[in-house]
Amino acid sequence: MSALLEVDDLNVSMRNGSGRLVPVIEHLSFTVAPGQTLALVGESGCGKSMTALALMRLLPEDFVITSGRIVLEGRDVLALPPKEMRSLRGSAMSMIFQEPMTALNPLFTVGDQIGEVLRWHQGLDRAAARSRVIELLRAVQIPAAEQRIDAYPHQLSGGMRQRVMIAMALAGRPKLLIADEPTTALDVTVQAQIFDLLAELQRSTGTAILLITHDLGAVAELADEMLVLYAGRCIEAGASDTIVTAPRHPYTRGLLNCVPHLAIGEPPKPWVDLGEIPGMVPPLGARGADCAFLARCAQACDVCRAKPQPALESIAPDHAVSCWRKTELAA
Amino acid sequence: MTVIESTSQVSAPQTDLPARTAASPGRLALRQFTKSPSGVAGACMLILIILVAVAGPSLYPVDPLDLVGAPFMPPDADAWFGTDYLGRDVLAGLIHGGRATLAVGAVAALITIVIGLVIGAVGGFFGGAIDATMVKITEFFQILPPLLFAMVLVTLFGPKLTTITLAIGGVSWTSVARLTRAEFMRLRDLDFVKASRAAGASNVNLILRVLLPNALPAVIVSATLAIGVAILFEGGLSFLGLGDPNVMSWGLMLGQNRNYILDAWWAVMFPGAAIFLAVLAISLVGDGLNDAINPRLRRRS
Repeated sequence: MSALLEVDDLNVSMRNGSGRLVPVIEHLSFTVAPGQTLALVGESGCGKSMTALALMRLLPEDFVITSGRIVLEGRDVLALPPKEMRSLRGSAMSMIFQEPMTALNPLFTVGDQIGEVLRWHQGLDRAAARSRVIELLRAVQIPAAEQRIDAYPHQLSGGMRQRVMIAMALAGRPKLLIADEPTTALDVTVQAQIFDLLAELQRSTGTAILLITHDLGAVAELADEMLVLYAGRCIEAGASDTIVTAPRHPYTRGLLNCVPHLAIGEPPKPWVDLGEIPGMVPPLGARGADCAFLARCAQACDVCRAKPQPALESIAPDHAVSCWRKTELAA
Repeated sequence: MTVIESTSQVSAPQTDLPARTAASPGRLALRQFTKSPSGVAGACMLILIILVAVAGPSLYPVDPLDLVGAPFMPPDADAWFGTDYLGRDVLAGLIHGGRATLAVGAVAALITIVIGLVIGAVGGFFGGAIDATMVKITEFFQILPPLLFAMVLVTLFGPKLTTITLAIGGVSWTSVARLTRAEFMRLRDLDFVKASRAAGASNVNLILRVLLPNALPAVIVSATLAIGVAILFEGGLSFLGLGDPNVMSWGLMLGQNRNYILDAWWAVMFPGAAIFLAVLAISLVGDGLNDAINPRLRRRS
């Protein structure tokens, strides 16, 4: 199966105050197959959102892609002239942002904003755009779409606004939908609805989703593959079922231990403290050649301290890990 | 973060009010504006002044440049506001001069806004070297004393109404440019701008449809006040003898009669009062608008 999106050895750096380049994302490679969901998982500051912005070529001013290739449907995204890149955004790939409260223009109705995307990319006239917007609002399960099309963002709840954002992102019929923590700012009940909606829209439209999240529950439910990022490096990759049930890297294990396991209809388990990973992600500029997780790793041994960051190596057909003790830790 | 092990139903949530009455930002601002007594008073005054300037000349068809009687006739039944040093009707001057004065104010303010918006928006949006250039241009105009600069321009190109208007507009746009630039820089990194960019908006789309409407509240207020400033400017230039002698305006009346203020107070006081009232009305409207559309104040209500 040919990949829809192919990212090959992507390196992103930030130019700091003195003009030096500080690595933000290092040697990141992954592929997304059409209609599949890939989850990017990691703590804050691990480079998840920067990866998404690099794909859209919307990195903030001080960030530069130093090397690597991003190929979407056979087109080299990094080599496209700005104008073609613009027409790609919103049509071939689009993006949902984290914060629905601020991601909509407060001065225009939601219908105007979605309709605008349709006019840019599909050249629809006002009337055609309007009826298509109503369709889209229905598709994202907004009740009374005919009335809500004329609502301003401030009249809608957070969940509704995120649905509008999704409708806007899907307006150009993208092959790839990048969802950057789409539910972080929402209530837990609404989170579940949004994830269900994304799954359903994926089934009906066949779009691939790059899901950026730290909600491992969502990953287990939604994602086919997952990629665990730590300090801008991919430290574990593979099928999400495999990783969630049998994580190999100590960091992935730590992340999974931080998730409470609750199930409806089961008696509550005796009290267990949630896990935590002591310490924090090394800041930009403080990342050396050795394993980035070394300082926080409970399993670190002399080998880990002596050698640089290990390469991402397969331990199974659908599972790769970057850890010196990957075989020892298997047990 | 919870692992959801039960599959939740996809259910359309029953939520908030349907958007039956579209509360557009413009309508909200208008409603807010009508709550400010001074703003409404200013608007009424301004409308009255504009009505007089527009309809007055046909109701009081006396040529303001005609000599209708003896010079320095005090206000009486023949000439309600008296005559000036040449024997011209002061009331006719007020009514006809209002047209020129308001027109100069409005057009000069428009020029101010357009130049300021373009320079500020381009600099604030693109940043970097373009911004540095725009800031340098703005600073160049800022360090010149505006009245002196306008006087030089009017002297160079002749005291005609058009050159006066252009000169006023050309020297007073710097504050609008700085304001627009600041607003654009604030807005540029907001989420909805990023979202529009991610949806494929071009730079022109972003500037005109996304950033500009959001920057306008601040600019509208300063635009309103710019009209008042431009009227004062015209008055100042005419007072210094740089008014257009062929077109009656309030400033020209002031400038030509100022030497005779002790003999004929009416020829100076009435146009002075007219300028004062017009600028006051515009300032009150500006304040009311500021209360109505300034986002920082609006959030409180």
